[in-house]
Amino acid sequence: MIEPRSALLKWFPDHGGLGSSGAPGAEILPLRLKGRQRPAIHVLMIEDDSSIAEMYRLQLEHDGYSVSVATTGELAFSTLSGSAPDLVLLDLLLPDRSGFEVLAALNERFPNHPPVVILSNYGEPSMIDRGRALGAVDYLVKSRVTPAEISEHIPGWVAQGRGRGQKDS
Amino acid sequence: MTQAATVAQDLTALGFVALGVAMGYRWYRDRGRAQGMLAAALICLAAVAALGRIPNPPLVLSIVNLFLFMLSGFFVLLFRHEFVPLGRTALYLAYALLALAILVGIVDVLAFRNASAPVAAILGVLIVAPWSIFVGEPIVRFWAQSNSLPAVQKARMRFLSAGFGLLIAVLFIAVIAGAALQSPTGILLTQLVALLAVPVIYFSFAPPSLLRRIWRLAEENEIRAALQDLLIFSPTRRVMAERAVYWAVRMMGATSGFVTDAEGNVLATAGIDPGRVESLFASPPESVISAPLHLTEGQGKLAVVAGTFSPVFGSEEAAQLAGYANAVAAGLERARVTERMAALEDNKTQFLNLASHELRGPVTVIRGYVSMLEGGLLGDLNDQGRKAAGVMAAKVSEMNELIEQMIEAARLEEGGVTVHAVEIDLRDIVRSAAEMVMPMLDASHKLEMDLPDRRVRVRVDPDRTRTIVGNLLSNAIKYSPEGGTVTCQVRSRAGVARVVVTDEGVGISREGMATLFTRFGRILTPETEHLKGTGLGLFLGRQLARLQGGDITVASVEGKGSTFTLQLPLAVVPPSPDAASSDGGHEVAGSTPRVVTMPAKSPTSD
Repeated sequence: MIEPRSALLKWFPDHGGLGSSGAPGAEILPLRLKGRQRPAIHVLMIEDDSSIAEMYRLQLEHDGYSVSVATTGELAFSTLSGSAPDLVLLDLLLPDRSGFEVLAALNERFPNHPPVVILSNYGEPSMIDRGRALGAVDYLVKSRVTPAEISEHIPGWVAQGRGRGQKDS
Repeated sequence: MTQAATVAQDLTALGFVALGVAMGYRWYRDRGRAQGMLAAALICLAAVAALGRIPNPPLVLSIVNLFLFMLSGFFVLLFRHEFVPLGRTALYLAYALLALAILVGIVDVLAFRNASAPVAAILGVLIVAPWSIFVGEPIVRFWAQSNSLPAVQKARMRFLSAGFGLLIAVLFIAVIAGAALQSPTGILLTQLVALLAVPVIYFSFAPPSLLRRIWRLAEENEIRAALQDLLIFSPTRRVMAERAVYWAVRMMGATSGFVTDAEGNVLATAGIDPGRVESLFASPPESVISAPLHLTEGQGKLAVVAGTFSPVFGSEEAAQLAGYANAVAAGLERARVTERMAALEDNKTQFLNLASHELRGPVTVIRGYVSMLEGGLLGDLNDQGRKAAGVMAAKVSEMNELIEQMIEAARLEEGGVTVHAVEIDLRDIVRSAAEMVMPMLDASHKLEMDLPDRRVRVRVDPDRTRTIVGNLLSNAIKYSPEGGTVTCQVRSRAGVARVVVTDEGVGISREGMATLFTRFGRILTPETEHLKGTGLGLFLGRQLARLQGGDITVASVEGKGSTFTLQLPLAVVPPSPDAASSDGGHEVAGSTPRVVTMPAKSPTSD
């Protein structure tokens, strides 16, 4: 469990804040990170705002993840068919289609796609419910979390996705 | 008696002549085809009645009389034809019948002057029957049609039908009874009945105001009942205008009507195509009365239009309509203000929503980089830099809180807030809220916690409740600029849990109390204007408390301090497992989250 840094940020964190997701197997993943032979966790960020994407990339690469950025849904699909990231961070407002559409298409075209975490400026309960219904492992409102907090959560999300994948198979 | 009968006959003739003249004059004043037909019918009838009074008429006069009589009936049929057009076949049939009746009449006059009684009766029937068909069919038609009309129109139609009905009855009785009615008494009776038809027919197209008022009574009672709906409960201006014109038309016995605003735009119509209103404006016929609608933006118009049938709008109607129009104008104004307020409210919520979401983007980036600066990710900072980063982080957090509050307020107004209630110990919530405000405390402030030893079980949304308590505590500290003790008590009694936050700060003035819990209702005084805040905290706190079945109340003495009390309902003590299973429908305080949805725009209060 990670508590948001600022106490003031606790305005209604149940709607897209961090802190609610207990990650099963979260302890195992840091081991994987430290393991020298294994490649770094690969995060695909689908985000059209370059200032946000660059900021996250800075933090995540600093923390040892490998990051690729897709600025549209289409680019994300081509990236996904080329390589298999361990985690997808998905923005909802994209130039070519909505993040929900991207997620639905992912479910259809890549049934074993990596876990998806939605990062959005919107935190309406209906949108959170929709994201969860489409299988997102988490839904975060960007302004409520710092890059470091996202970075800390990544192993947990990857583990969660893996746990889900085992259940499915 | 014979003399009386003669006088009666003369009177009847005079009555019909007067009727014919009156109708002719009306037609002269307002020339419509239908009016013309009715005028022609009544003038022919008047001529028949007048010619009938000439003793021992020559043969030609008898034939002319017969012509006029048949035509009088035929014009009534044509009058009806103006309202409900007859089919081509029916019209040809009518012409044939007219020719046949005239032919029979001429034969009768020329060849059967001294026929026996039965033959005379048969010939009489052959002449009167076509006339009766011409007149009778419209009577039935008008009567049937009148059922669907408003009271005033209905009464007029029925009077017309009844008047002609009386005439038919008189004629048939006269022809069939024949000689039996040749006695003076018989003549007197038939003449009186015929005379009775004169005012009845006259009233049908020119009812006196008293009669009109009586006819209107039934409508007015209904209108009185409908007026509340009309003026108070019309959801929009357009609906209100539509209802208003509908009732105006009914009340006046008009056939159509319309309402226009100050610019002449048609707001609503009844019984008329909106496009035709323009042409009515261009050349207003006499059969339109309109009353001004005094609206803020200028003078609108409520008008009713009489149909082709008997346009009689007198000063009585005009006055009535003007009075009604004043009520309508007031109602329209109210609807306009309500609509504008709703639109403004909507715009404001939309703006709040859009602006706050748009602000989240830049705040994310600033906050992210500041946190990375603080964390040393962007290189080492000197002392001043670290200090600056700390200030920036605090400020951007403040900004973020403001945005969150704005979004939550907008969401509350849209009714989109959901509360995730779980059973929890209120003391835990209060403790963590106190931790939240710890950084705000300086040397001059003291925070005293007074918590009971036993658990205080409530069923609330923990995050939101923590926010509410945290907000009360931070307000208490913020509004005690001179320092002092802030106490936070938790109590439970009679099914209600209370968090009482007391400070020794600036307090709240009497005037301030009124706006304390309103949106953006910050109280600015010289002592407090340097303090930051959105004025949303208490508004949100109270709304969210009410959403969970609680409330926030306040007591304050200006200059001495304030006491804010958050009330929350205590959780129901869970029954034993068997009891729980025996009444499954009963609400049990368990640990599964329960979602309470707020009804749109009406916070659940006690």
